[in-house]
Amino acid sequence: MTDAVETKAVGPALSITGLRKTFGANEVLRGIDLSARDGDVISMIGASGSGKSTLLRCIPMLEIPDAGTVTVGEDSLSPKGARLTRAEEATARRMRGHLGFVFQNFNLWTHRTVLQNVIEAPLFVQNRSRAEAVDEATALLEKVGLAEKRDAWPAHLSGGQQQRVAIARALAQRPRAILFDEPTSALDPELVGEVLKVIRSLAEEGRTLLIVTHEMGFARDVSSRVVLLHQGQIEEDGTPEQVFANPRSDRARAFLSGHFDRTR
Amino acid sequence: MDFTFLGGMFANLLKGLPLTLNFWVLSLLGGGTLALILNLMRTTRIGNAVAAAYVFVFRGTPLLIQIFMIYYGLAGFGFVRQSFLWPFLREPYWCGLLALILNDAAYTSEILRGGLRAVPKGAVEAGRVSGMTRFAILRRITLPLAFRQALPAYSNEVISMLKATALVSTITLMDMTGIARAAISETWRAVEILLCAAAIYLAISLLVTRFSAWFERRLSPWQFGRTTP
Repeated sequence: MTDAVETKAVGPALSITGLRKTFGANEVLRGIDLSARDGDVISMIGASGSGKSTLLRCIPMLEIPDAGTVTVGEDSLSPKGARLTRAEEATARRMRGHLGFVFQNFNLWTHRTVLQNVIEAPLFVQNRSRAEAVDEATALLEKVGLAEKRDAWPAHLSGGQQQRVAIARALAQRPRAILFDEPTSALDPELVGEVLKVIRSLAEEGRTLLIVTHEMGFARDVSSRVVLLHQGQIEEDGTPEQVFANPRSDRARAFLSGHFDRTR
Repeated sequence: MDFTFLGGMFANLLKGLPLTLNFWVLSLLGGGTLALILNLMRTTRIGNAVAAAYVFVFRGTPLLIQIFMIYYGLAGFGFVRQSFLWPFLREPYWCGLLALILNDAAYTSEILRGGLRAVPKGAVEAGRVSGMTRFAILRRITLPLAFRQALPAYSNEVISMLKATALVSTITLMDMTGIARAAISETWRAVEILLCAAAIYLAISLLVTRFSAWFERRLSPWQFGRTTP
């Protein structure tokens, strides 16, 4: 699995400029600029309601931003209205094709087996051959430690196993970057480790990852960069050492001390 | 009990079975298609209002009245008699089928709507982030999940429609019930004849029940303790 490292087009893997999003009277994102180069592992942290999940969901246009631009590889989108036009939807689909997205609640397709979940996009979006898709899916399931579960139903897996299948499903798209939306928040504590271990291995092989997380210890160990959001704006942005050891703002200090008091 | 008579009547009624099955299968196919269209219409505001009104009318009035309205009522309109549809609409067969389809669509669209509402939002989002088109999501994710959800309720509708076909006997059609009615007026042996007819409907219902249980297990094996497909 070295293809992620080989994708070396010029320019950032993805970038976001001037992103704004309002839900009713609630201004969730208030002008976000962020860009990720290939190989970056960026953790996004912040209190509940700080806008980090919304930010992540705006990248593949699961939420349509009110203003701002999202660029993934060569494709760029600045939605004009509350709904995507036909042309915008086509661009968004291309962008999604270059991204993997891992949800908090896994969102596996319950009517398909583990293997069928993983080969769905390669077969029906990327039109690859079945033999190739199955071979690659088998390798990916092995990588996440679930080779023997390939014919199981999602309903019969633990949360940690389901999330690892979801990661394999994201990888099967051969994405340029993978987005994680609180990937361990829905898991029982004893299952968190197996998922973090898989994400860590992806970071180590040089993949581009954007991770929204509450796991501060993990963010500190794995990230090349940590972004702290507060009320819809980027409050801190730097290496883990900078952000965790020497936060510039009082708010960041307060948030982090609150967290490290009760985590490992 | 006169078993010779019963046997003969049984064979006689079975001559109406093809027409009963014809109405039953075609009304389910037509009604199902129309139900899908009604649900797709519900994604727009005006379409939603139209679909809701349609369901309100066809679910809220007796099927027998709908059949009579189409068979006796439409002919009262000059433009209907002038239209290219008149060769169809003057035939009791097409009137009966039309009424059954329109009626089945109203019920089936509500069953399907329930199934669609039960599809987890996350499953659809997972399709979107995979780069699937709206149509692919509908075909590969939304409808398969909605259909599985709706299947138990839909099997009710399937049986319900089987029995509803009996009403076409009121507009001169010789389905099983039509034959039974004719035989009763000839012989006055209502109980035996009706028992015979009921037994045939019951046998078909039994098949439907069995089939839908099998189908449900086949479509959702994980809900029945099977660990692999």
